[in-house]
This record gives sequence, structure tokens and C-alpha cells, in this order.
Amino acid sequence: MPKLDILGALRSVGQPMRRKEDQRLITGQGQFTDDFTMPDQCWTAMVRSPYPHAAIRGIDDRGARALPGVIAVLTGSDALADGIGQIPHNPVPSTRFDVKLTGRGGTPIYIGEHFLLPVDRARYVGEAVAMVVAETREQALTAAEAVIVDWDPLPWVAGTREAAADTAPPVWDGLPDNILVDATFGDEAATDAAFAAAEHVVSATMAIGRVTGVPLEPRAALGWFDPETERYTLRAGSGGAVRQKHELATVLGVDPEQLRVISLDVGGNFGTRNRAYVEFGLVLWASRRVGRPVKFRADRSESFLTDYQGRDLVVTIALAINASGRFLAIRSDNLSNVGARCVSLSPLSKGSGLITGSYDIPVATLRSRATFSNTMPTQAYRSSGRPEVTFAIERLIDKAARELGFDRLELRRRNLVAPSQFPYRNAVGSPYDSGEYERNMDRLLEIADWTGAQERQRQARANGMLYGVGFANYVESSIGSPKERCDMIVAPDGTVEIVIGTQPAGQGHETSFAQVVADLLGIAFDDVTVTLGDTDVVTGGGGTHSGRSMRHASTVIALAAQDLVERAAALAAAHFEVTIDEVTFDTGVFGARDTNLSCDWAELARAAAHESAEGLRVRRDNEMHQPVFPNGSAMCEVEIDPETGGIEITRYTTVDDVGRCINPMIVHGQTHGGIAQGVGQALWEGCTIDPDSGQPLAGSLTDYGMPRSDNMPSFVTEIAEVISPTNPFGVKAGGEGGTTPAPAVIMSAIEDALAPLGAIEIEMPATPNRIWRAIQTLRDRQPQNAQMECAQ
Amino acid sequence: MIAVSMTVNGARVTRDIDDATLLSDFLREELRLTGTHVGCDTTQCGCCVVHLDGLSVKSCTVLAAQAEGGAVTTIEGLATAEGLHPMQRAFRECHGLQCGFCTTGQIMAGAELIASWQGPLDEHRVREEMEGNLCRCTGYHNIVKAILAARDEMDLPDA
Repeated sequence: MPKLDILGALRSVGQPMRRKEDQRLITGQGQFTDDFTMPDQCWTAMVRSPYPHAAIRGIDDRGARALPGVIAVLTGSDALADGIGQIPHNPVPSTRFDVKLTGRGGTPIYIGEHFLLPVDRARYVGEAVAMVVAETREQALTAAEAVIVDWDPLPWVAGTREAAADTAPPVWDGLPDNILVDATFGDEAATDAAFAAAEHVVSATMAIGRVTGVPLEPRAALGWFDPETERYTLRAGSGGAVRQKHELATVLGVDPEQLRVISLDVGGNFGTRNRAYVEFGLVLWASRRVGRPVKFRADRSESFLTDYQGRDLVVTIALAINASGRFLAIRSDNLSNVGARCVSLSPLSKGSGLITGSYDIPVATLRSRATFSNTMPTQAYRSSGRPEVTFAIERLIDKAARELGFDRLELRRRNLVAPSQFPYRNAVGSPYDSGEYERNMDRLLEIADWTGAQERQRQARANGMLYGVGFANYVESSIGSPKERCDMIVAPDGTVEIVIGTQPAGQGHETSFAQVVADLLGIAFDDVTVTLGDTDVVTGGGGTHSGRSMRHASTVIALAAQDLVERAAALAAAHFEVTIDEVTFDTGVFGARDTNLSCDWAELARAAAHESAEGLRVRRDNEMHQPVFPNGSAMCEVEIDPETGGIEITRYTTVDDVGRCINPMIVHGQTHGGIAQGVGQALWEGCTIDPDSGQPLAGSLTDYGMPRSDNMPSFVTEIAEVISPTNPFGVKAGGEGGTTPAPAVIMSAIEDALAPLGAIEIEMPATPNRIWRAIQTLRDRQPQNAQMECAQ
Repeated sequence: MIAVSMTVNGARVTRDIDDATLLSDFLREELRLTGTHVGCDTTQCGCCVVHLDGLSVKSCTVLAAQAEGGAVTTIEGLATAEGLHPMQRAFRECHGLQCGFCTTGQIMAGAELIASWQGPLDEHRVREEMEGNLCRCTGYHNIVKAILAARDEMDLPDA
């Protein structure tokens, strides 16, 4: 029986193969949700809450119904009457290695209700409370304005710390104090002892604010119900059609096989699309009600209000350090704002497992809490939870170096987890798989020219500018949904199709998965196609999130390929009239030992087709819980104009250990985009809420600062491949590592730039206004300024 | 309702449309040219860039009626019988796209930039000129590279 030699088979793996996706996307032939139109379709628009918290006393739709083109106005009461249920969120990550969050004292977590349209009250600005169906989108939008809701405004709370305070108004009657998670991990007694004995303790409180994903394709949905087959179909871009199918079938109260979900090209995700949106269920339900396909497309303001948002963590953290700079213990209190209902605890959970960062800290205590608030729910966003805790520990180390007089790099070196310590279990139990953390640092400092930075700083200062160098290490966990499925089908012409349950939104799965398949089966890259995103074809799979796809896909593909080779070997044995043990397989050719008999995939596929209609195909399911820990280092340099607070990033360099890199072109591209999103959070992005009214202030691309071509630098990114021992290809994950250290490294550079004026902490986003104010504060503190003021 | 006539990708089209129809909706809904994408409705993102009489416009803030008598080129009309436009090839070669949603607008804006720019075009200038086209996937690094690569290719003498 031939056994696949995975590492011996690698040919296209590791090569920058150009993407199979690109031909359609560069010629305007992409298949995004809004590109589909059905005959007889109508449109829907939502009636949304203008209040952060308000009871619904009544809904008067008479005026709206009288408007031209209006077909129906539907409310939450109508949905309840039709038996439409809640979205079944399961917010606690599901693998055996995820940190086990609970309510206070180990109690079950209260997650709130998530009906498509609430009947009692709205709990955040923008929450949909009714829907209008009309002939055109414009008619639906106009009529939505004419629906009169009798609102009774209630006390509200939006800020994370405020929501967790004793005096906060409750978001849910069932949870009077808003705190849905309160769990402690680590060894409290040992931590207390280490802190008591430590020469130094450094502490800080930091807020990693609320941002939103801004995928450039606004979310859209087209739903229809076929009364003949009693089957629903939904076209909607997401992070995984299989999950959407199961969750929305629960909402509709139907068997999952009565719902088909199609998600083809997806215009960006970053986590925002991983969970079901109410509008997806609504277009399906409304389609059944009105007997026509119903379409929805969010405009950009709706996306800002009601796309699932990200981050929003407040961390109070302390580090115990001995006289020689060794970290003895860490204590952290992490408070996550989940918004008005609990959709996902991934950000809190992922960060909880990584509280010790890249460092060998023997004891730790972590308290993880989550609070409801009257804001849009949060979800995993681009490297869920990991940039937050990386920010906390890396900024705290910079502070420790500054306050205690250590060199910031040397302090890190003294505490990094060493290669000899792997597999390494950190103080809260996360099993770091492999890595060469100090080598990442060394390599980064070399390619980023750390030693030359001093001269660049001198030159910038001579020009009247402030110049700073930022540095951060990171380690992150890639876990994700544990199950994946692969169908592998050989056509009679020898080409191979795989069907798999991941869901890319630009990550290039059609290309990198094809590289893996081509090498394992010994066929040409061009002869492989990858099918994704239609639940009538893709029957299982975990979707795309948490850097899981390349690792899960390459693993299940390797298992399926072995099954396929075995099935083909049996066919070859019959064909050659030898025993299966005599069959050989090498680079796509089957042979019989000690003969010159041979045949290829095409011949065997044709032979299989004679045997049965199914032909030559296998299906493989795999369940893999073991996480991996991508890691790396990042450095940047910034120049700040002291008169305006204007900031320019002059250099940005990273070294990222992604495990085995399947396609370096794609991984570098993922890293670039990841960096931009992390930099965006540090410098511009924020879902600011007006403290007096509770109104979100970022409602368009004019109010929400984005990375743009003229505020971003070019990057130097280098891939380090420390092979993971946890999966056949040794894959970790790429891309999110661009984001994870970015907020820390940018803020580190700003602090370094301002150092000649003094030490000050600036909140993210560090807009020019905030930087300018910090500069004024520091100048005011300087003695000569004080004297000048006295003289005046 | 008004009647509008224009040339789109070389073909003459005439339609009766609502006066308020945006050019982006006219292209997508009336002509089913769905390669022109709408990302923001407010002229911020650049996903909807097409060429109107040879100049880049954000088609979500041009009325279809304003294009009366004009010549519109969309992403579907950029390639010729000889093959892809150099900008399309460069985006693929340089990995200047990921999800592909902003890409069609980026390619159209980049193509017009190269065609119309007088004088030397360096990275800094490309970044300044392209700041009206947002991308959330690439961090712009490979988009800038692609535009400069296409410029180099278009400058080459005929083979």
C-alpha cells in the first residue's frame, strides 16, 4: 500500500504561485452577493432604533403601507407569530484548548436574547425593530422613514468601565449587574507570593478601544423560498456558509437541509461576517411571507452602525520583576465589552490564554470579565483578542524598562521563552508549540537596521522633527473551529476537484489549497480546482477564522489524499493484476513493483467510473483541537511634527514565524493588510460614542479614519518558518501576525519620539490632535516654560 | 423618466430611466455590468471608479443623465482583443488584490493615472494620487507596486 511522503512531494508548495482567483476579479467577473438579481425580486430596508436603549411602546405602519411600492411592513411580533426563533449563538470557543470562560462562581454564561427583531426594546443605536418590503430599494428606504415607532427612552450605558460599574443601568433584566463573565485563571496564591517578594512591580491600566472591520463590500443578502420544494435559499457573503446554514435553519425552525446558503466571492471579512446577521434571517422569512425573492444591501452608514464590531477591552495589568530584570509573575484583569448581547467571547478567550505573551513568566493570575452595554455587539476582529493582550504586555515592558532603567530590548531578551523550552506550557495553560523567539528579534533588528535608527533620529531632530522607534514581540494562538471536511474527486481527464468548508474573503484558498493538492497527488497546479461556499456542494466544514484555514485544510487534504491514493491503488492492483502491496505511487504515476506497468490518475478515474457512478472520489472528515502559536517581532519608525502632531510612519519591518509557508506571495500580502489594520487602530480608527447622547459618532468614511495609500508606508516583511510539530505540513498561520503587534509597536514609537519632552501616555487612536495635546502638556511641564509663564 | 444615450465599452446604449439614477446603478442594474462595485454611496471609497470620456469618475456620485452623449469605460471594457490591460496584468502579477472588491476601482483609477500623468511617477506620487481609493486587505503595498510595474510596462517600446 503506497504511503504518501508529504515532505518529499513538495514542489509548488513554498512557491509564489499566481492566484487562480484573480482572472475573474480583475476583469469584473467576480460573484459578490449584490451582483445577483432575481426576476421578480423586491427589496427590504430596516427601521432602526435612534436610541441606545428604549422600550418599544408601539409601531404604527399605516403611513408607510400607504406609500408607493410598499408590499409589507413586518415587526418582531409578526416574526414571533410565525414561529421565527433566535440566532443560536454559542459564544464560548469550542476546542479543548480554549480558555473556559464562565459566569461568576463557575455559573453558566447569560448571553441575552437575539431575536431578528426585538419586541420589547432596542438595546443599541441601529438595532432593527421592523422591516419594510417594497418594489425598489429606494421605496423601501423611504417607507422605513415613515414607520412611526412609539419609543420610550431608557437609561443607557456604552463605555466599558461604566457598563461594569455598580451604578450602571442593566441591559438585560435577567442580569442586573451586566457582568456575564467573571472567571479567574492561574495560581492566585503563588502570584501573590511572587508579587510580595519582588524587587519591582510595574503596573498600568490600558484601554484598547472599539473599532469596526470595514470590509469594503457592504453586507448584503438575497433570500427566496420555493413553495414547491419548501426550500429556502440565501445568497450572502460570510465567513462560512455551513455555519450560517445551521444557525439560520434554527432561526427559521426548519431542518438544515431545507436551507441552502451560497457565499461565493466575499468582499472582505476580518471577522465581521463570521456570525449570522439578523437581515439574513429576515430576507428568508420575508420571502416566504410575500412570495417573492427579497434582497437587502446595507449602505455604509448601516455597516458602521451594525456590522459586528471588534476589540474593546480594558486591561489592568501588573508585572513583578526581580533586581536583574527577570519577570517573576504577572497579574491581569481583562474586561471585555460584548455590546448589547453576547455573540462571541472569542476576543476575551483568545487573549486570556496569551496573557504572558512571548515571555517565560512562571506564575500568573488572570481575571477575565465581560460586560453588556448599549452598543453594537462585538465579535472576533482581525486577530481576535491577541492585539489587545500583546498591547498590554508589550507596553508594560516598555514602561518597566523606562521606569527601572533597563534597556527595552535587553529586558525582553532576558525573559523570552527559549527554543529549548518547547513544547512550552504558559502559566495559564496554553501549549506553545514551537518557535525561536530571540532569533526573530535578532533577525528583525538586522533587517530593520536598529543600529542605524539613532542616526536617522539625529537627522530628523536636526530638521526640527520628533523621531521615535517602536518595537514589540508577539505570540498568538491559532485555534478555531476543530472540524473540517474535504471531498476529493478525480475527473476522467485526470483533473482533480476538492470541495472544502473554509470560506475565503481574499486569502487565496483556491490557490494555496491547489498547491497542496497538486503536490500530494503529483499533478499539475493548473489541474486542480477548489470548490467553496455553496452548502448544496459543501456539506461540512468550519469556515474561516482564527487563522485556521491553511492548517485545517492542509491537514484534511493530506488525509484525503492518502485515502484517495489507497482507493486508487486498489484499482491499480486490479488493473495490473497484482496485489495491492505491490502497487507503487510516485508523482502521479501508479506502478507495479518490478514491472514496467504504469497508469495515471485519468486512467484510474475512468476505471472507477466503469465500476460505479460515483467514480474515483473520497470524503474525509478531520477533527483537530491542538492549537498552534504563530509569533514574531515588529519594529517601526515614526516622524512627528511637533507643531501639528502630524505623524508619518517612515519604516515598518516585521519577522513572522508562520510555520510552513505554502505561498509566500499570499502570506506577505496577508501580513501587509494585517499591519494596516493594526496601524489603523493605533492612529485613526475608533467607534466613538457621544457620552451625552449615546449616539455613535462614526457613521461614514468621513468620520472614521482609515488606512489610506498616502498615510501608509511600504513594508519590509520577512517570513520565518519554524515548522509546527502539530500538523502534517507544519503550518501555523499567516496574516493576523501583521495586526497583532501593530498597535503596540506604533504606540511604542510615539512614546519614544516624545521621550525628549518627557513621559506621557496617549490613548489610541493617537490622532494628530491627541499627539499635539500631549506635546503641549509635556512642554507645559518643562521648567523653562513655567518660568516664561511666570515672567509674563 | 428620461431617456439617456451613451457609449459604454464601445457599444451605444439608450435607456429610459428615473431622473435620479446614479451612473453606478445604471451600469450595474440596467446594463448588468456588475464589475463596477458600490462600497459607500458617498464618494469616499473609490470602488465604483469608471472612466467617463477618458477621466476617472466615482460613478456613485455621477447621475447617469450627466453621462448623456459620453463614452464610459468600465472594468469589463478595459481588456482588448489582444488581452488584458497592463494594469490588470500587473495587479495579478504583483498580488495587488485580495478579496477583489475594491480592485476594479483601483485598476480603473490606476490605469487613468498612468495614461494621464505628465512627468515622473514615483511611489510617493502614486500614493498621493490614489488616496481616494480605499482598500482594507492589502495595506496598499502591492497596489502601489502594481501601478508602478504597469507604468514600467506601458513605457516599454513596442515589441
